[in-house]
Amino acid sequence: MGKITYKRLKGSQNMRQRLLLATLKSTPVLIEDIHADDTLPGLRPHEISLLRLFEKLTDDCLIEINETGTKLKYKPGIIVGGSHLVHDCGVSRAIGYFLEPLILLGLFARKTLVIILKGITNDSKDPSVDTFRSTTFPLLKRFGVPSEGLKLEIKSRGVSPHGGGEVHLAIPTVQHLTATMWTDEGMVKRIRGEAFTTRVSVQLGNEMIYAARGIFNRLLPDVYIASDYRKRSEAGNSSGYGISLVAETTSGCCISADTTVSYPRGDEEEDIEGEEKKELIPAADVGEKLASVLLEEIEKGGVVDSTHQGLLFLLCALCVNDVSKVRVGKLSPYGIETLREIRDFLDVQFVIKPDPSTGTVILKCWGSGMKNLSRKTT
Amino acid sequence: MAMDSGADGQSHKAHRSRHSGASAKKKTKAKNKDQNSDQKQQNPKAFAFRSNAKAKRLQSRAVEKEQRRLHLPVIDRSYGELPPFVVVVQGPPQVGKSLLIKTLVKHYTKHNLPDVRGPITIVSGKQRRLQFVECPNDINGMIDAAKFADLALLLIDGSYGFEMETFEFLNILQVHGFPKVMGVLTHLDKFKDVKKLKKTKQRLKHRFWTEIYDGAKLFYLSGLIHGKYPKREVHNLARFISVMKFPPLSWRTSHPYLLVDRFEDVTPPERVQMNSKCDRNVTLYGYLRGCNLKKGTKVHIAGVGDFSLAGVTGLSDPCPLPSAAKKKGLRDKEKLFYAPMSGLGDLLYDKDAVYININDQFVQYSKVDEMGGTTNKENKRDVGEDLVKSLQAVKSPIDEKLEKTKISLFSHNGRKRRKAIFGDGVDHSNLKSTDEENEGDEDDDSDNDNDEGENDRSNEDNESCSGSEFSDGDEEDLKSEEDDRSNEDNESCSGSEFSDGDEEDLKSEDGMGNISKWRASLVERASKKQNINLMQLVYGKSASTSNTSANEVKDDSENEESDEDEFFKPKGQRAKNSIEGLGGGNINTEDCSKSTKISELKNWKEEEVYESIRDRFVTGDWSKGALRNQMSEAKTEEDDIDGDFEDLETGEKYESHQKDDSSNGGIQKEDDDAIEERRLKKLALRAKFDAHYDGSESPEEETDVQNGGKFHRSQANDSGYYDKLKEEIELQKQINIAELDDLDETTRLEIEGFRTGMYLRLEVHDVPFEMIEYFDPCHPILVGGIGLGEENVGYMQTRLKRHRWHKKVLKTRDPIIVSIGWRRYQTTPVYAIEDQNGRHRMLKYTPEHMHCLAMFWGPLAPPKTGVLAVQNLSNNQAAFRIIATAYVLEFNHAARIVKKIKLVGYPCKIFKKTALIKDMFTSDLEVARFEGAAIRTVSGIRGQVKKAAKEEIGNQPKKKGGQAREGIARCTFEDRILMSDIVFLRAWTQVEVPHFYNALTTSLQPRQKTWQGMKTVAELRREHNLSIPVNKDSLYKPIERKPRKFNPLVIPKALQADLPFESKPKNIPHRKRPLLEDRRAVVMEPHERKVHALVQHLQLIRNDKMKKRKIKEEEKRKEFMLLFNTFS
Repeated sequence: MGKITYKRLKGSQNMRQRLLLATLKSTPVLIEDIHADDTLPGLRPHEISLLRLFEKLTDDCLIEINETGTKLKYKPGIIVGGSHLVHDCGVSRAIGYFLEPLILLGLFARKTLVIILKGITNDSKDPSVDTFRSTTFPLLKRFGVPSEGLKLEIKSRGVSPHGGGEVHLAIPTVQHLTATMWTDEGMVKRIRGEAFTTRVSVQLGNEMIYAARGIFNRLLPDVYIASDYRKRSEAGNSSGYGISLVAETTSGCCISADTTVSYPRGDEEEDIEGEEKKELIPAADVGEKLASVLLEEIEKGGVVDSTHQGLLFLLCALCVNDVSKVRVGKLSPYGIETLREIRDFLDVQFVIKPDPSTGTVILKCWGSGMKNLSRKTT
Repeated sequence: MAMDSGADGQSHKAHRSRHSGASAKKKTKAKNKDQNSDQKQQNPKAFAFRSNAKAKRLQSRAVEKEQRRLHLPVIDRSYGELPPFVVVVQGPPQVGKSLLIKTLVKHYTKHNLPDVRGPITIVSGKQRRLQFVECPNDINGMIDAAKFADLALLLIDGSYGFEMETFEFLNILQVHGFPKVMGVLTHLDKFKDVKKLKKTKQRLKHRFWTEIYDGAKLFYLSGLIHGKYPKREVHNLARFISVMKFPPLSWRTSHPYLLVDRFEDVTPPERVQMNSKCDRNVTLYGYLRGCNLKKGTKVHIAGVGDFSLAGVTGLSDPCPLPSAAKKKGLRDKEKLFYAPMSGLGDLLYDKDAVYININDQFVQYSKVDEMGGTTNKENKRDVGEDLVKSLQAVKSPIDEKLEKTKISLFSHNGRKRRKAIFGDGVDHSNLKSTDEENEGDEDDDSDNDNDEGENDRSNEDNESCSGSEFSDGDEEDLKSEEDDRSNEDNESCSGSEFSDGDEEDLKSEDGMGNISKWRASLVERASKKQNINLMQLVYGKSASTSNTSANEVKDDSENEESDEDEFFKPKGQRAKNSIEGLGGGNINTEDCSKSTKISELKNWKEEEVYESIRDRFVTGDWSKGALRNQMSEAKTEEDDIDGDFEDLETGEKYESHQKDDSSNGGIQKEDDDAIEERRLKKLALRAKFDAHYDGSESPEEETDVQNGGKFHRSQANDSGYYDKLKEEIELQKQINIAELDDLDETTRLEIEGFRTGMYLRLEVHDVPFEMIEYFDPCHPILVGGIGLGEENVGYMQTRLKRHRWHKKVLKTRDPIIVSIGWRRYQTTPVYAIEDQNGRHRMLKYTPEHMHCLAMFWGPLAPPKTGVLAVQNLSNNQAAFRIIATAYVLEFNHAARIVKKIKLVGYPCKIFKKTALIKDMFTSDLEVARFEGAAIRTVSGIRGQVKKAAKEEIGNQPKKKGGQAREGIARCTFEDRILMSDIVFLRAWTQVEVPHFYNALTTSLQPRQKTWQGMKTVAELRREHNLSIPVNKDSLYKPIERKPRKFNPLVIPKALQADLPFESKPKNIPHRKRPLLEDRRAVVMEPHERKVHALVQHLQLIRNDKMKKRKIKEEEKRKEFMLLFNTFS
């Protein structure tokens, strides 16, 4: 009945936010010129996988992709969620790439979402699953998400190039998100972390921990980094190691950083064929560098790290009709893109004020009043 | 004091109580009683609980009662001024609705209203405005009126009793969130008998109570005096209205809506001339209610359709509340009213002009009020019109007005509208003031000045609605007024663009006049720019393109560079560049939330590097860490003042200032005085908040809440969860208000949209011309905002119950008209019921007294929205028109309703327990789909579908050379079946819900006409005189059973031989002649003969006797019957 008017967009940038917001607000979108000028035009495998994931979670959504894959028509359905879902995320992007939109989608689903995600658990491009557990979930609790239902279990770890990791995710549904005034960043009171190794010696993990602690110990005594040594079936299909760190502040903010070292993917290998096989960064250096990254994040200030800015803004914009106020460090490009997408889709604008004395930015917004409409009333 | 002196000086006569008579007796009795009871109460233990259990029970009951009283607190998010409350006056025709509105308006404003058309806004008190609307009599109008009513006055003709309209309206109200209701009985003067009147009142009251709740207010208007209701009673009614509280309704608090009180067609006249049926542009005016309206919101105009807003403008309030000065009651000047559709009201503020509306009759009869000055002027100017007016005026003296309103069906343009012209052109343009224009280019001083004037003016207008100032017509005067007023205004109105900081400064510069103001405005603009700076970076440029900061320019140039060089850069680098440039040059950037570049890390091992962030750790300086938060908190609040005016005055360039800010480098100087000022303000706010909460929280905690932005949710005081909840809501509200007030006007509008209570002008384009053509001011227009996801269409599942007063059950797929949210549309529901296993089974008809599910297609509404269903819209229907009520359970894109299906097959070949079944399936593929399905014969033998039959076995036709028949299934049974058996397969099949909905476009046709949509099958049959098709096979026929013929039993000879004699069939041959015994004659003896003869005689006698008696009886009967017939 009636003609569908599509919102026209261009390019594959911010695909996740666009699809997510389109689904939440149920606006049909038409995305053109997706990697149109590349040698391999069209949607990337992870983008297709993302679309499949959306299709899995929603009821009666319509996805049309043209032959070359450069044009995508997406008419969202109703977010259903449900348990016993399995999704293979592929090996082109890590699970973290999928988790970011999935979390919000799950909150506004009809039924509690319980899903098994398979693929790469740790990656240097996307936030690792450890970070989600340690930082993202506490962030959600700030917005009134019940902590009981939130669960992320790492059954096995997988790193690039072959993946093989598996996580079990459970996300409860909410009626609506509550607004928050979150400008108090507090002081770092403890640092926690997890260093993992898959299919390599456990010694590498210990080296990372040792190196990271070496940096932190000058500032804080309360540092504890666990080591997670995986082997056989729990270790996925490729070898690698990584570390994820979280700094908790007195006001309950979590600032995280993570990285992973593993062999690059097959297609990337071809690009560097001329060069000799790339050596992996030594574990001690990884630990040291990541500790520095974390300290840099702390220096930037704000209640979340730069990785979580986008999610934070999305959560603020999806709140009930109240004012949310948050403080972040320097706006990350991803955060800025998210702000733009929020403006385009939800018609929510943020008031952005720099706070020159601390070098942070304070953002204020009036929530869009999003309610979980797909939930059934009894 | 005066009272005291009076009391001292004069001794009053003492009261002498009665010592005898009835009242004295009564008193003594009462005294005795009292004493008795006192005696009883001397033993308090007697009334204590004796039983432990009883005490417990009573206590728990009290607690339960307390809990039942509580309701989840509703969050009211309207922070603006309250819009006028809508009082809908509803009732059947000829019950006195318009008269009631007229008398109420007269009561409030002392104006005679000639005609009630459209909403009439009046100021009823210092804090309260009311908007009276007469509810149209058709059901569409009633449904719309129920959606915007805050209070419904149900007028009931007391002499006639209740009419269907009242009950219908009550039901409509109940479905769309029950607003306040008050019944008003009229026509009570028709009762001559007092007793009967009393009885009727009581009866009606109790009937009214059963419908709403016991004790619902029913008001009595006893009769007419001079064609109006008695003054005292109207006064009382007004009192009732004025004390009424209006709880927020959930649908309305979550959707913005407007009750349109002014409606204009703004299509360019050329376009209309070219094609009179072209789509029109219209403007709709009204107070914004419900919740905030954002600019991008889509709206639904009831009875027309969905539109996107082409423009929204906030106008100054045409009927503002009086100033908040402390005084008792309203002054006459403040008793404003505004009813543009009725041709009344005074000034219309449009986006680009100010209009003075003059009603002819108004001119004639109301020379005393504030309109007087203006109208006189008008008269002088235009003699011809004056003449015409006076001629018109003679026609309608006051007495006839009432009759006239009834008669005048067609004429509703009794008003003239003129542009107010003021001297020269420059000033004129100024008066077309809106806040938006202020953003426009202001280059020279004079223009600037004028703009400020505008600002003042628009605010000033709110308060003094007297048009006299406008008619002055010379610029000087206006200017001087502005000068005088600008300062006051700046103090009073926070709505002006000046941030709070500016005010202080302006005050100090009072005497300086224009120059200082100009400078102030410049500064103000500068400060605004600083604020938006980061926002501009993120959101791109807003309207003011000229003010690009240096920072931004640099950024842009970077982008351009990257764009140019794009081709010559390696792939990876290009992506990196675009990330840095933020400009979005590359549209295919990788979607990555992590953006750390590990290569550019500082060396955190160095001491000065890590010591620099020492204070961010608990090992560092706590006070410094806290300061960091504190300072920034103060900072953000004071952001508006960051342009220090002292600095400006001393000659510091503001450009440099800006640069400072944009680079985030310099820490700004804090003005101590300003901070102090802030603190005071904050204290005031806190005090207000405390007062709100009767000081339950300690002030220390308060400061914490305010300063740190921490939420002490767990630290609620001893009060229960309920109070905590309420407190949280209030706290959130205060925070919201504080945060939003921090922003300047334009930013605030962008962030939260237009606030409720604002008078808005909505511009809507491409509206069908019929809306203009058939516009009727008596039918108010409702404009409702569409919420998130409500413009989509899909299936909705509702829980529906047929209305008990509707006589029939409803049939599946019969079109019904539903009203959900703002919309009304026709759709075809499929009814269903949920089985125990969660299956939704289709129902052909709704259950008679039960709820059922109804699934239909249409624009979606959020769960829990009320639904009202009607089928017949015509007014001439005596029966109850509401057929069902429902509420939305959920919506989804796929309908999941199933119905039973029975596949019937016949055996074509039977083996032992296996049979081949034909005619059940049409293809082998279908058989494959049903493999394993349970089947059953009529006689109850159960079985299972196995597989499609192999060709050789089942397909006899093939042997005969025909085509192989498909769809024969091999099935096994628990016993051998017969060829005469019929085999059933019982299954469920999906039912399609028709993709049909038809929006009701009642505003696009003459109002008298009944809207006609899709007809029901029954209606069509009736129209075309068709009978209901009958399937002959379904009819019941008398069962004809042929007598079954059985073949004789044949026992084989061998068996027979073995049988015992007893069981052996005995073959007795058939005899041709009867037996001897039968053939013999009987010869009687003489004695026997005698006896026989005697018996015969006796019998004869008896028979004869009986015969006679019978004849006698017959005669008697005949006589009686004759008598009986004659009498009856």
